[in-house]
Amino acid sequence: MEYEFPDDIKYMKTHEWARIEGDMATIGITDYAQHQLGDIVYVELPEIGRTLEKDSNAGEIESVKAVGEILMPLSGEIAEINAIIIESPESINSSPYGTGWMMKIKVSNSSEINELLSVEDYKKIVEEEKK
Amino acid sequence: MDLIQELKKTPFYNIHVNLGARMVDFAGFSMPVQYESIIKEHEAVRNKAGVFDVSHMGEFLLEGKDVKSFLQYVMINDLKLLEPTKGQYSCMCYENGTVVDDLVYYEEEPERFRMIVNASNVEKDFQWLIEHIEGRDVKITNLSLERCRLAFQGPKSDEYLQPLVDVDLSSINRFYFAHTTLNGAPIFIARTGYTGERGFEISFDNKYAEKVWNDLTKAGASPAGLGARDSLRLEATYSLYGHEISDSITPIEAGLFWLVKPKEGIDYIGKETLLKQKSEGTDRIIVGLNLLDRGIIREHYKIFKNGNEIGFVTSGGFSPTLKKTIGLGLVEKQYSEVGTEFEIEIRNKFLRGKIVATPFYRNV
Repeated sequence: MEYEFPDDIKYMKTHEWARIEGDMATIGITDYAQHQLGDIVYVELPEIGRTLEKDSNAGEIESVKAVGEILMPLSGEIAEINAIIIESPESINSSPYGTGWMMKIKVSNSSEINELLSVEDYKKIVEEEKK
Repeated sequence: MDLIQELKKTPFYNIHVNLGARMVDFAGFSMPVQYESIIKEHEAVRNKAGVFDVSHMGEFLLEGKDVKSFLQYVMINDLKLLEPTKGQYSCMCYENGTVVDDLVYYEEEPERFRMIVNASNVEKDFQWLIEHIEGRDVKITNLSLERCRLAFQGPKSDEYLQPLVDVDLSSINRFYFAHTTLNGAPIFIARTGYTGERGFEISFDNKYAEKVWNDLTKAGASPAGLGARDSLRLEATYSLYGHEISDSITPIEAGLFWLVKPKEGIDYIGKETLLKQKSEGTDRIIVGLNLLDRGIIREHYKIFKNGNEIGFVTSGGFSPTLKKTIGLGLVEKQYSEVGTEFEIEIRNKFLRGKIVATPFYRNV
């Protein structure tokens, strides 16, 4: 099974990704995560305007057979949520790094970016989990 | 520890693995939950046809002069409604009316019956039957491990299957069966199913397993796993043992009133309790559930009305056909009317829901 691992984003060991663009970050879950979950049927995201800390709960994602918690990769204010995945959660399965993005935040503490995993480190974590 | 080595395998195990199926432990067997996507497999069954490996289920042969009267004693349905080449769905119940298992049996001959039981209850059912023979002329053989079973379900199942078999499928009515060949392989084929679509359930000797599977998939059927099997039966509102019926939920509580037969002059296990429940009603009953707020209904979630707990979810999930969440729950009778609103507790939040009529979907 070949998973996609874009190299222009950072990762969490809990399988979220963050694409940093200036003082904003786009957040989603990885290809490996969507595959583990299976058909995604429901997503719940925080309200726009809320400020959440890194590693805190940022919503829920449910597949046919499982429930998963989304964690904030970075602290920040929720600026935008993706209406497409609310309407069509399966977009996360088909395009986890593209149209299946989940939310955009205004990063409040850019030093936290250094704590995120590089694509190589994340690949190692996936290799370990697969064993 | 490699758990797979301890699990039993059906004759289709290698096929599932080669197709990249996600395998799980179900009733001690390594079984495919999905091949590619539960939703895609569900939709394939609703739109054309799917094939399911159900070889983990049990298959018994009952023979002897007293088989029919024996089954009348352990089953709540009435075998007077049967005839050779016909099958019947029933529950076996305990004295208190709760369920040992739900199953289907087929009258091959008046003194020879084939019975298919749930995978999770094979040993229990076999023991239950043996213990209740009580001197009758009945012999029971467990064929579960020497024969395999497939479910072939969908609106196109007749069309795909007819060229392969040596019997006119249109002559087999629902719940009837035949013995025929599928591209030369001898099979038992019944027009029964657990998906809410037209279709068949077939059983045959293990040695034909891969050949029959390949013939069916070449004919157009998509492989479908246990995940789709569950979402299909939930839409069709068929009970699942351990959920809507169990050793603590009776068929009357599950809404299967029609299954509890008067059988006058015939004693059967559970008769007194069940006929009483049928005429007087029960304190709780299985109902259909929808949500009014966004979320997914899942098994075990608690159901509340005006702050009081009134029941719990027995089965729940996402309906690909209705494109929303559906569920079944056991609730207090006084709150069971269609249209009644309730709250359901999902991870410390209370979402609003409504009781709805069932089945959610049938196309048989």
